Amino acid sequence: MIAMQILHNSLRPIWCAAPDTSHKPHGHPPLHLPLSSALSHHHFLSAPSRFSPHVLFASPESQLDMEVTTETSEWAMQDFYTLRRDVEATSERAEEIRASAGLQQLEEELAALEMKAADSSFWDDRAKAQETLLALTDVKDKIKLLTDFKTQVEDAETIVKLTEEMDSIDTGLLEEAANIIKELNKALDRFELTQLLSGPYDKEGAVISITAGAGGTDAQDWADMLLRMYVRWGEKQRYKTRVVEKSMGEEAGIKSATIELEGRYAYGYLSGEKGTHRIVRQSPFNAKGLRQTSFSGVEVMPLLPEESLDVEIPEEDLEISFSRAGGNCRPITHIPTGVTVRCTEERSQLANKIKALSRLKAKLLVIAEEQRASEIKQIRGDAVKAEWGQQIRNYVFHPYKLVKDVRTGYETSDITSVMDGELEPFIKAYLKFKFSMTLSKQN
Amino acid sequence: MKLSIPRACGSWCKSPVSTTLHKPISFYSSIPSSSPLKPQVPLFLRPPIHSATLSDLQKWHHWAKTLPVPHSDDPPDPTLLRRELKWLLEDALEDHSSVPQMGSHSDDRPIKLRTSLEQLHSVWRQRIEERRPFQYVVGCEHWRDLVLSVQDGVLIPRPETEVFVDLVGDVVTKNGDLTQGLWADLGTGSGAIAIGIGRILGPRGKVIATDLSPVAVAVASFNVQRYSLQDIIEIRQGSWFEPLKDVEGKLSGLVSNPPYIPSDHISGLQPEVGWHEPRLALDGGVDGIDALLHLCNGAASMLKPGGFFIFETNGEKQCKFLVDYMENESKGNFYDVKIVPDFAGIQRFVTGFHH
Repeated sequence: MIAMQILHNSLRPIWCAAPDTSHKPHGHPPLHLPLSSALSHHHFLSAPSRFSPHVLFASPESQLDMEVTTETSEWAMQDFYTLRRDVEATSERAEEIRASAGLQQLEEELAALEMKAADSSFWDDRAKAQETLLALTDVKDKIKLLTDFKTQVEDAETIVKLTEEMDSIDTGLLEEAANIIKELNKALDRFELTQLLSGPYDKEGAVISITAGAGGTDAQDWADMLLRMYVRWGEKQRYKTRVVEKSMGEEAGIKSATIELEGRYAYGYLSGEKGTHRIVRQSPFNAKGLRQTSFSGVEVMPLLPEESLDVEIPEEDLEISFSRAGGNCRPITHIPTGVTVRCTEERSQLANKIKALSRLKAKLLVIAEEQRASEIKQIRGDAVKAEWGQQIRNYVFHPYKLVKDVRTGYETSDITSVMDGELEPFIKAYLKFKFSMTLSKQN
Repeated sequence: MKLSIPRACGSWCKSPVSTTLHKPISFYSSIPSSSPLKPQVPLFLRPPIHSATLSDLQKWHHWAKTLPVPHSDDPPDPTLLRRELKWLLEDALEDHSSVPQMGSHSDDRPIKLRTSLEQLHSVWRQRIEERRPFQYVVGCEHWRDLVLSVQDGVLIPRPETEVFVDLVGDVVTKNGDLTQGLWADLGTGSGAIAIGIGRILGPRGKVIATDLSPVAVAVASFNVQRYSLQDIIEIRQGSWFEPLKDVEGKLSGLVSNPPYIPSDHISGLQPEVGWHEPRLALDGGVDGIDALLHLCNGAASMLKPGGFFIFETNGEKQCKFLVDYMENESKGNFYDVKIVPDFAGIQRFVTGFHH
């Protein structure tokens, strides 16, 4: 349910909703706002400076007047109706979120933590005390956030009520209500997103590795297109996006590339991009211009700080293969699981090894988490291969244009935008899908 | 024998020939920091006094990416060139993070540079057309966690050689006494091994690094000072053991990456190495073993009992030859003599202890 809402709400600005005329105010005279008919309702509250702050309501006696300005008042009413409807919807949404966030449970948790902190032996174990205090702050913040949601809804509701009861309309107030609702919806979006992105590594940066599949130049060109797509996406999100490794194809495109994205939640958003991406097109590298299908593999790993990589890998479990080109750049394989990471492009041998090892550790940690393995030793290598290679998305350029996610069913014909990094709808659809899968598993 | 890793060769400036040819002149002196030979400042340390607009820089970048590579039997790897171009920009720009992805932005922001755009054109042309090693172009090489200054006349430290520091680290962990002893790095070149070891030994350690070449001595001194190790590492100029007469029999450790390429293989080296790096740092005589044998012989008298040594070689053949030599010809001098492979699995190092 939460997941549905997040999609819904974050995909449209609230003032773009079509006016719902079925919601008529009850027992009140129609509102009469002297708005210029040239102004669409969209501009109403967001550009308030153009209106005088105080506007007189038409009295019930001036019915005639009203007839004359039907069009104007119709817009005006709709503006208020839209606002009122948005307040109602947001109120419902906030209530739902408050309920699902387990407010009561949080309060119990808070009480327990406070009791702990008040204990006289609390500071005996400094590390533990710090941990408790952090948890306490976390819970407090969350409760405050949830309480704020309620207060803000109430503020907006009060304004609506006041407006209904008053004889005059206060644009300033309405504007305030609209702002409250706008900001509140943003906050609710963020809250829901953090609920969706609650995996242990979701808030970390991300490392994307792209590998061209079999299929020669066409596949290598496809890998290059994917590289561009993710770099564009990263730059749009204002993540610090760097291509840290790139191996050129013989004729065109790339054999492989690695991108690092630094920034909050990059991994959470991108983790669902992991898998095989398939392209269907008239290949420019195919002399006959025949329709061709190529594949590229995408792997996504969290960009974890060194100190959080609490994994010991015995040296004898590692196979460091040698590639002559460049001398410095060597993939590392974890022999027991067969998990491999590509080499990096650091400028020294040692730096490469350190970086490749931390990539490998991050990958093993993620796989362990996915397989619910408590130890690296328990990872089943065969399962990794099957799961990480699963085909997740089709990009059809010819004979029609369509990008379709195999898992969520989300699709669009605007393939150009997707290739320009417009991945938002795909990412959100997947997060929603993943969340509902988790819920159904739990039940 | 084709050199499979032509870049893996010894460091520069020792006599390529057996030292019997050397007159026993004591050529040894500690080089003060005000050495008459002034080393070049690597690009990344130069002040950012130049400037270019982002779009001009992009134009240069595009030109560099597409500059045709002259025909060659042994052309440079395009992936490596692309990487080098990225590193060149890293070193040349004052703030590399201001240009996240070359080519995805376009504006006239001024970018501060450590060299002029003209120079960038000229050095990249040298890289492509003259096959000048990238490290000489930027004046440095990243080696382990160090960034070492290098220049023409000084061998570029190789990734394989990074293992020296790990091997020494392992030995001193097992045998703490060696930490406080005196170590020597013969034919130090840029000073790479000496600096790597000096940082492991810590404040109570002491390393003497020797080199015959005044350029190498100047560059090594520069690198030692950049890592503030002048109290631990002393650079002496001279051939092999000659500058070490005062410490005979006192060394806890002896390390060297000498010239070990057989003379008639030099012409088959990749152009970056064969055309540009100092021949004296590469050429190890007819079998490439001259310097290594000299080091073996000297090790017996220079090391104290229990002292440790590592020598880098050309590969399996030389490793086996050396081990055989130590076990037969130089019988009783050494124990625990081992061959250690490099990261590519090639038998690269010979290590052991002095009785």
